[in-house]
Amino acid sequence: MSDKLLEVKNLKKYFKTPKGQLHAVDDVSFTIERGKTLGIVGESGCGKSTTGRCIMRLIEPTSGQIIFDGVDLASLTNRQMRKARKDIQIIFQDPFSSLDPRQTVLQAIAEPIIQNKLITGKEAIEKRVLELMETVGLAERLINSYPHELDGGRRQRIGIARALSVEPKLIICDEPVSALDVSIQAQILNLLEDLQDKLGLTYIFITHDLSVVNHFSDDIAVMYLGKMVEKAPADELFANPMHPYTRALLSAIPVPDLRYRQERILLKGEITSPVNLPDQCRFLKRCYSSCENCRGKEPQMVEVKPGHFVACHLCSR
Amino acid sequence: MENDRILLEVSNLTVNYELEDETVEAVRDVSFYIEKGKTLGLVGETGAGKTTTALSILNLIPDPPGVIRSGKITLGGESILDKTKKEMTRIRGKEVSMIFQDPMTSLNPVFTVGDQIAEALMIHEGLDKSAAFRKAQEMLEIVGIPGERAHEYPHQFSGGMKQRVVIAIALACNPQLLIADEPTTALDVTIQAQVLDLMKELKKRYGMAMLLITHDLGIIAETCDYVAVMYAGQIIERGTLEEIFNTARHPYTEGLFNSLPNIADRKERLKPIPGLMPDPTKLPKGCAFAPRCPYASPSCIEEMPEDIHFGGSHFCRCSAYKDPKFHIEREDINE
Repeated sequence: MSDKLLEVKNLKKYFKTPKGQLHAVDDVSFTIERGKTLGIVGESGCGKSTTGRCIMRLIEPTSGQIIFDGVDLASLTNRQMRKARKDIQIIFQDPFSSLDPRQTVLQAIAEPIIQNKLITGKEAIEKRVLELMETVGLAERLINSYPHELDGGRRQRIGIARALSVEPKLIICDEPVSALDVSIQAQILNLLEDLQDKLGLTYIFITHDLSVVNHFSDDIAVMYLGKMVEKAPADELFANPMHPYTRALLSAIPVPDLRYRQERILLKGEITSPVNLPDQCRFLKRCYSSCENCRGKEPQMVEVKPGHFVACHLCSR
Repeated sequence: MENDRILLEVSNLTVNYELEDETVEAVRDVSFYIEKGKTLGLVGETGAGKTTTALSILNLIPDPPGVIRSGKITLGGESILDKTKKEMTRIRGKEVSMIFQDPMTSLNPVFTVGDQIAEALMIHEGLDKSAAFRKAQEMLEIVGIPGERAHEYPHQFSGGMKQRVVIAIALACNPQLLIADEPTTALDVTIQAQVLDLMKELKKRYGMAMLLITHDLGIIAETCDYVAVMYAGQIIERGTLEEIFNTARHPYTEGLFNSLPNIADRKERLKPIPGLMPDPTKLPKGCAFAPRCPYASPSCIEEMPEDIHFGGSHFCRCSAYKDPKFHIEREDINE
């Protein structure tokens, strides 16, 4: 029996727009085991961040179940939810806008501790903040610095320390390294990995960078226009991608190694609007291997190999 | 090297941003050249001086506070820095074009895209309005946008389409040199692949030279003939694509490659470069990379390294190579 920490069932988030309903997240289901990392990849507008935010109910889902540690978060009241968020934390993409410019490092990291009444007493809190700063690799002398005095990598470390301060079980990392330079990216990725080993954390890793997600995840889910189109263990997905979109996406990564030259699948056109979608495959307009069958109903996720799910008429036949 | 093959030559360029109480040494004694029809990739992290170098070529350094302290830039044998403002206007967009990172902000929202492409043609090619507009429509077709969309405004286009429009403007007058500053950073990977493919094709078709600025070594691997690596305002290594990717010499170049996730072994731990880039207002006396360098000796911090040549165009700026037996770890792996 696997140890499920989070199970998302049929999560939907529709936004009302003047032109009709925008299907940001459309019937997404997945599970994550304790201590594992699920990578969610996709291009801008595919609903990966909305999915992350719906899990924390920072955005109210339209429908669906979010079963976290046995409790359906979607059914909680706002007050109960606030308590539940202690166990689920999020790290945002932009360390420049996700910190309050008027808070010092001490205040920023102490805030969640004080909010959740985890520790009382000024000295005890400061001690805990220093502990957290050490955990994430921030020098003690920076405790009274303001965000503008620090570079992107250090700011992201503050974001991580804030997330860790409440001892969460699950951390949603929403593009945590995309705003950073490569040498700093590697520092932060290693830090997140070490923390997972040490604290037994579970991650949802949302990113558009496929090489990063490959390095980091146990399972990878690929999203396109609000739908999950493929999900598999990371090795399997990279070795044997099945959905035409996944194959194109993987072939589009520029590889920094001259020994790996690959045939590129160039997709025509761009992502279509997720407003008022017809009941057929969302990738059909850009697909290079569609057949008559594809004009019919929208394909559902089918397990083609143990652990490897794909939503495509051609692949599931 | 025959001289007439060289299109652009930059020698000993030094650019400072001189502020009231401090001076940012953005570009320090940078020299490089680009041959006709070739692509040079300029790679480095934020603040390395890549964009400042590119802006100098167009004489577009914001002044004040930017000052070109010394150096020479010649394009097709003529010195750029000696040109008058009026002469420069004729060169920009005609001889040398530039594409910026963010396609959302480099187009004017109140003009149609057709008018914006036509503008360059009217100024530089002396076409009248209707001829310029027809040519603009042709340019749109070349970059893969239906010509009738020339009557639309930038907000009606997606990010990838806008970048195509920017490329159409840059190429309208058939420049000899295209400077592309992170042209695909704001785009999604599948769109990035489309745009890179388009740029490669157009480069072949028009035979223009390109200076491609990026922080992404993957893009470099796919598009460039030569690579120059910048760190703290200096070019610390330069060579052909193969030389840089297969036999890199500088410890910083090695560090950059090690920071990237390994595609062959995804579980391998990343090896980041420790520490941070030095503050460009307080650069050390010696090698700027020495404080982060695993091979540094005490003398590295004290004395400025010189360029060590490895035959051909490959050189790196690192004192460790004064010892003929020195080599970086990466070299062992590749052998």
